[in-house]
Amino acid sequence: MRAVKILERVLITIPIMFGVAVVVFFFMRLTPGDPVDIMMGQAGAVSTGEIEQLRREFDLDKPLYMQLWLFLTKAVQGDLGYSYTQKRPVNELIFDRLPATIELAGGALFFSLVIAIPIGIISAVRQKSLVDQFSMAGAFLGTSMPSFWLGIILILLFAVRLGWLPVQGRITYGINLEYVTGFYVLDSLLGRNWPALVSSVKHLVLPSVSLGASVAAIVARVLRSSMVEILRQDYVTLARAKGNREFLVVMKHALRNALIPTVTVVGLQVGSLLGGNMIVESVFSWPGLGRLVVKAIFERDFPLVQGAVMIYAFTFVIANLIVDVLYTYLNPKITL
Amino acid sequence: MAVKNRMLLVLMSLVLMAAPLASCGTPTPEVVERQVVVTQIVQETVIVEGTPVMVEVTKVVEVEKQVVVTPTSLPARDVIIVGLSAAPVTLDPADHRTRNSETVIRNMFDGLVTRDQVSGVHLELAESLEWLDEQTLEVKLRQGVLFHDGVAMTADDVVFTFERIINENMIEYPEVHSSPRKGLIAPLESIDKIDDYTVKMNFSAPWPPAIQMLVHQQIVPKHYLEEVGTKGFIEHPIGTGPFKFLSATGLEQIVLERFDDYWGGAPDLEPVGPPCVRQVVFRVIPEASTRVAALLAGEVDIIQALPAELADTLAKTPGVQVGTAAGTQPKWMEMNVNQPPFDDVRVRQAMNYAVDKDLIVEAIYGGRAAALAGPLSPYNNYINTSLVPYPYDTEKALALLAEAGWIDTNSDGILDKDGISLAFTMDTLEEFRSLAEAVANQLRALGVDVGVRFWEYSVVKPMLDANERMAYLDDWGDSAFDPVGHFEAKWHGRVTGQTYGRGNFSGYNNARVNELTKLGEITPDPVVRQLIYDEAQQIVYDEAPAIFLIIPDETEAARADIVNWGPAADSRINLHDVCVAAQ
Repeated sequence: MRAVKILERVLITIPIMFGVAVVVFFFMRLTPGDPVDIMMGQAGAVSTGEIEQLRREFDLDKPLYMQLWLFLTKAVQGDLGYSYTQKRPVNELIFDRLPATIELAGGALFFSLVIAIPIGIISAVRQKSLVDQFSMAGAFLGTSMPSFWLGIILILLFAVRLGWLPVQGRITYGINLEYVTGFYVLDSLLGRNWPALVSSVKHLVLPSVSLGASVAAIVARVLRSSMVEILRQDYVTLARAKGNREFLVVMKHALRNALIPTVTVVGLQVGSLLGGNMIVESVFSWPGLGRLVVKAIFERDFPLVQGAVMIYAFTFVIANLIVDVLYTYLNPKITL
Repeated sequence: MAVKNRMLLVLMSLVLMAAPLASCGTPTPEVVERQVVVTQIVQETVIVEGTPVMVEVTKVVEVEKQVVVTPTSLPARDVIIVGLSAAPVTLDPADHRTRNSETVIRNMFDGLVTRDQVSGVHLELAESLEWLDEQTLEVKLRQGVLFHDGVAMTADDVVFTFERIINENMIEYPEVHSSPRKGLIAPLESIDKIDDYTVKMNFSAPWPPAIQMLVHQQIVPKHYLEEVGTKGFIEHPIGTGPFKFLSATGLEQIVLERFDDYWGGAPDLEPVGPPCVRQVVFRVIPEASTRVAALLAGEVDIIQALPAELADTLAKTPGVQVGTAAGTQPKWMEMNVNQPPFDDVRVRQAMNYAVDKDLIVEAIYGGRAAALAGPLSPYNNYINTSLVPYPYDTEKALALLAEAGWIDTNSDGILDKDGISLAFTMDTLEEFRSLAEAVANQLRALGVDVGVRFWEYSVVKPMLDANERMAYLDDWGDSAFDPVGHFEAKWHGRVTGQTYGRGNFSGYNNARVNELTKLGEITPDPVVRQLIYDEAQQIVYDEAPAIFLIIPDETEAARADIVNWGPAADSRINLHDVCVAAQ
């Protein structure tokens, strides 16, 4: 039953993707600015003939509905066109960059959960204690610090001053790593390549912290408040009355219920971790999708923006689906 | 007693040690021969006393030997990492229009000619260039130049390269399209092979900047491109340059390796020979502060596009050197000459007198910029040397404005005329924020109500094209050091459907300047050309369709032990010459 429901949800993504494609298509064309104009820049002589030829090449000379039709018919076959500026298939460009983005999002998520879950629990259990006040102040700071600022400060401190961690990139130059999946940490594990593992993990630390700080703060606050709520419930009192150890009461009886709102928040944050990391990617020169897309937006590289936004939409929908499936495990009363 | 010697090993290591030094340009190793005592491993067979058995032993002995020594030791590192500000879009020399693509490409490919760090053009793959008439250029090619796959470069490759650029639909991947570099050599009509090492280039009209513009076209191998196609070529490009392609991760990291059979490079640009370093790595680090941090942390050796505000701090930091080169992007604030108040030449001149360019150069650029004396960059090969930048003279500015009728009648601090305040909005881009605000502040101090508005170029451009805006602060790049680029695009009147005036956002249109611009384009005699451009510059200077502001230097930084390095005006990073100082 669950499998059928999941399949149903996956199938729903098709009309969603279609809608996203159409909306992005029109929004890009509504934005002022001409891709050919931007592409030709200043240098050298550009004749109107050349400009017209480029417009023909990009199908920009055709009426909008024709352009949309061409885009959609190709997209259905999995062909997202080719980038105006980079002259490479959009699919190729996106899948080159996607592993880096997912790895960074994964690193950030891992960091934020490792920090936020214990803090959330401890602050709820020791409400109004020094630990609680200190960590909630920290969470406040975490949400209000812009990630680019935090990134630069972290670089100056840990990379330039202390020299513990690298400034930028994904792996130290000169370390040989066989690229199988494009996820460097995974690739080093698969190849049992320990120097590469150490280097790629070290490179992942600062960007993950900068990107994950605000997520950690949000998750910690949400978890704390739902834990506080749950700890007041009768069944928790009952669990205590049964003589269970406090640790067991908190971790088994209270936490599982408190995790439901937390999972919702995390699910939404995954979307923003994947789609909102262009700033962190720029600061740490992390070769991910975010940077590529921002550049493409400025250059009005329509096919690349369209393709990337569709990928974002897809991952967002899937992240939400995973959250929904997780609900059913956390609380069997919830069905898909 | 037989002695088996292992001299070979010692000799080989000496040769290996000497090789990188010999190819290293600076510090120039002074080569001297002298006698030294070297430790040598020798193997000898001895007969152990008392027994008839022969035993082979290895022992270390000291011998005197004649060697070539140099006062420097080995380079500390043989890999150089460069932090680029933006990724190249491709490694195909015919399929891009960006400076950073060229920065990387020119380390793998050579052109017929190349440029030094300023504006001098030097023969590279061409052995000689000769104008047979005003429209025909004969190019004799250097012999013995090899592509990275060992095949010799010939006239076929040169013809193929240029035909791939000037003919339509020559690039087949990912979809059939024409080279975006055609515009950089637009007057080239055809190219003919005369013999294996001679080609003839036929231009549609005399084109004085031809040689400067040839710097921007690199020669590709015909046999290889025909074999693997564009897709195969961009995945593994092959050129005749000092470095060969090794690998690329997207285009975020590009690794090149020394081409040991390199023919040497432009003979009159020292050093000549194979490159000093074994590998070079280009890494894209878009954020300026991260580039600087990476340099400070020792992760990269050279960084591009150092922001002016960081240059001073870095210059004082030990372990780091900052270098500058003549810039190629002059900055102006163009004024709409077709609308009041800027339709009055006195107002435009007053604006020029009201801006303290020296202060801007010092305060914003830390001295790494130059004031403009009129419409061309001071580094242009045809600069009118009799012109000086408009001096900062607020009294003169006020007098000119008063003459034009602008006086502060109601003592509100803003000049007015017929009840209308002297006010305008200066449009600009985010990247020029500090310059725009400095200019606006100085004009406000004079009594002009200036607002600054920041745009995205693609959004403001159609309005500028329609001459709808009042004032626009921007730059216009041209690395050919020839007046054609700037005069044609910026100071010639706008002509619909043509390239003339395509960057003219002031609406300025002077018949004589137009005439001189066109004349300058087809006049090969440099003396006559100088006279033409002197007059044109004088007219534009006097009529002041823009506030002629400044031109910032190209600023780059490197670790202190990087030698033979310096930024180039055309953003080339010539890694052929670069070496790492000995420890």
